[in-house]
Amino acid sequence: MRLLAACAALLAWTAGSAVSVSVYRSPFPPPSDIHVSAEGAAGDILALAFGARRLFADVWFIRLMQYYGTPEAGPGGTPGDSFAWLLPKTGGGAAEEAAEAAINNGAGRYPDFFPLAMHILQLDPSFTGAALYGAASLAFNMNRPGEAEALLRYGLRYHPHDWKSLKLLTAIGYSRSRDPSAVAASIAPLLKDPDCPVMLKQLAAFLDKKAGNYAEAAALYADILTTSRDPSYASNARKELALLAARGITPR
Amino acid sequence: MRRSFSTVVSVALNSFSENVRNKFFAVFAVFAFAAVYASVLAGVMAVDQEARVLTDFGLTLIELIALAYALFNASSVLLREAETKTIYLVFSRPVPRWAYLAGKLAGSLLTSAVMLALMGAMHLLLLRLRGFPPPVDYAWALAGSLLKLSVITSLAFFVSLFSTSAVSTLVISGVIWTAGHFAIETRFLAEHSPGVKGGLLKAAIWLIPNFQLFNVRDSGGTLPLAAFATAALWTVGAGLAALALLWRKEF
Amino acid sequence: MTVPAVSFSGVGKVYKRPRLLGAQFTTGIRDLSFELQPGEITGLLGLNGAGKTTIMKLITGLLFPTSGKVSVFGYAPSRTEAKARVGYLPELPYFPPQLRPVEALAYYGRLSGLSGATLSSAVGAAMSRTGLEPHAGKRVSEFSKGMLQRLGLAQALLHGPDLLLLDEPVSGLDPLAIHDIRGLLAGLNGEGRAIFLSSHSISEVEKLCSRVLIMVRGSLARTVLRAEWEAAPGGLEGIFVEAVK
Repeated sequence: MRLLAACAALLAWTAGSAVSVSVYRSPFPPPSDIHVSAEGAAGDILALAFGARRLFADVWFIRLMQYYGTPEAGPGGTPGDSFAWLLPKTGGGAAEEAAEAAINNGAGRYPDFFPLAMHILQLDPSFTGAALYGAASLAFNMNRPGEAEALLRYGLRYHPHDWKSLKLLTAIGYSRSRDPSAVAASIAPLLKDPDCPVMLKQLAAFLDKKAGNYAEAAALYADILTTSRDPSYASNARKELALLAARGITPR
Repeated sequence: MRRSFSTVVSVALNSFSENVRNKFFAVFAVFAFAAVYASVLAGVMAVDQEARVLTDFGLTLIELIALAYALFNASSVLLREAETKTIYLVFSRPVPRWAYLAGKLAGSLLTSAVMLALMGAMHLLLLRLRGFPPPVDYAWALAGSLLKLSVITSLAFFVSLFSTSAVSTLVISGVIWTAGHFAIETRFLAEHSPGVKGGLLKAAIWLIPNFQLFNVRDSGGTLPLAAFATAALWTVGAGLAALALLWRKEF
Repeated sequence: MTVPAVSFSGVGKVYKRPRLLGAQFTTGIRDLSFELQPGEITGLLGLNGAGKTTIMKLITGLLFPTSGKVSVFGYAPSRTEAKARVGYLPELPYFPPQLRPVEALAYYGRLSGLSGATLSSAVGAAMSRTGLEPHAGKRVSEFSKGMLQRLGLAQALLHGPDLLLLDEPVSGLDPLAIHDIRGLLAGLNGEGRAIFLSSHSISEVEKLCSRVLIMVRGSLARTVLRAEWEAAPGGLEGIFVEAVK
């Protein structure tokens, strides 16, 4: 009887393993893809050990935002680095306006931004919010569309039908060809999505303002003010709404 | 058979009621404090991803707290019953050993299910207070955690029957839990390692339960029927292995 | 021919304790043979480590013999047919402190296969019989040692067993409690139940039993009938001391 129980145990366990081996397909990149600095290695080991990749991807995302939210010491990026793709089609006044927006939008060099953003996706490629945030920041704030595309393409390897990443990829393509209206059209479907990074909304509002669509711009600033938990974006939206209101424009 | 089933139910309900009386609610206090603290931090740091961070943090915390409770309970229950001689009063009666083991396992799983449900309700309430709707895959995520707990609890019962102390059972079960989350890495290494090393890693894939299978939110969606079947087979397998040891165990 | 309540035939028990290298073996009992008849009260005397508890556990199926054969009412001790007819009181029984006696008894009654009205009446009868009724509202944590022993006895009686195995039933009790339990056991025996009790108290065994087994270092040194110790100048104590010396 004891032997029977032992044999049945082995049989049941093996059957369980067989089902598991046949049905399980990892949604994650292979471990060889994960590149991390020594200081973050312990956290990554914990992430794998407790099956908490999502949580540790969140932690890395918070680190990324802390890194990006900290003013750079020493020679940082110049305001002209950002939204530079807009400059040829606009005049000097618009360039000035773009430069002002760029300061608000976090222009700078931030050399670790791309590896940090990539690491988040290596841990959890389904973290679309991080991919969009990272790519939009790289492309539109730091004028590094190549890295932005690489980031999105990495996420798309694991989720090839993610329409949000595809839309942003298209928008970045149009930004390379310096076509603001095509960029605006590409990111428009993203704006109502909960994963839409706030800087994309700000960019859309900025493009609307430039194109003379003030009511649409005001609507986007109002949306930022009510939905974003980022105080700097909320404060900027409040300021823009006040400026537009002074010109008699209210959200549509 | 009917009588054995009623014995399983009696042992399970008794085990559940003992668990509930044993510092059960202290666990929720710990969870509530940690979740509120994390939500405040997440609100400040995660900015526009607060909902995701709060959900991930809460679900991980729920799973780990339930795991700690389940492992502590499973690793000590047989030892404690032998030490207090309670088990003498059980096994001197017409109680089949399999029915006792099944009852204890069912009692532990019932406790885990209630814990997950209560902590989940607290977590959803917290999300609501922060202005977020319940995540779509939330119930599936809790179900996945319960399946994991079912497998590891059954394994802990098995380990407790040959290990020398509750601590060693906890350690061994903890190692299995960890190794079970390295399934992807183990498979990757097995595919890239030649010879004996590769063979050992391939054996490990079959011996160590792949807990990643039950991480619903990682793969985004629902639990496939195969996940339930796998959990049931592993739970029964470990339970039968425990029974093989308990069959002739002396007290 | 009546089937004996308990039969030991050449039974040996060796305990194996695993060590880092190999194992350590200790003999619990060796080549033990005896029988207990239905309706008989038999005592088991011996010094610490003589094998008394080992015998009790072999009868209840908590231990398995290394050699020889144990049977209970003609069945192997692990069989349901045997266990259903045995009530066991271990030394210093433990009950979860937060329980009330009725709750503890109901649980053990269910494990013995009782349910519904039968269970309720069995619990009530066991409470009444062991004098626990006035304490029904208390929790086990409030129980004295004597009350715990009564509760232990109550759980052993629940299913109306034909054989009661009592390991040190009066250990640590006050004289009044001992008197009550003695009366209870005599009453149970009067109903035809066999009782097998181990004790360090020679006087208790002397008062209750019709036959006594004296164990010395795992072996049965002597079997003494009531008539023998009543005729002996030193009584049962004298016989015991001589046997264990």
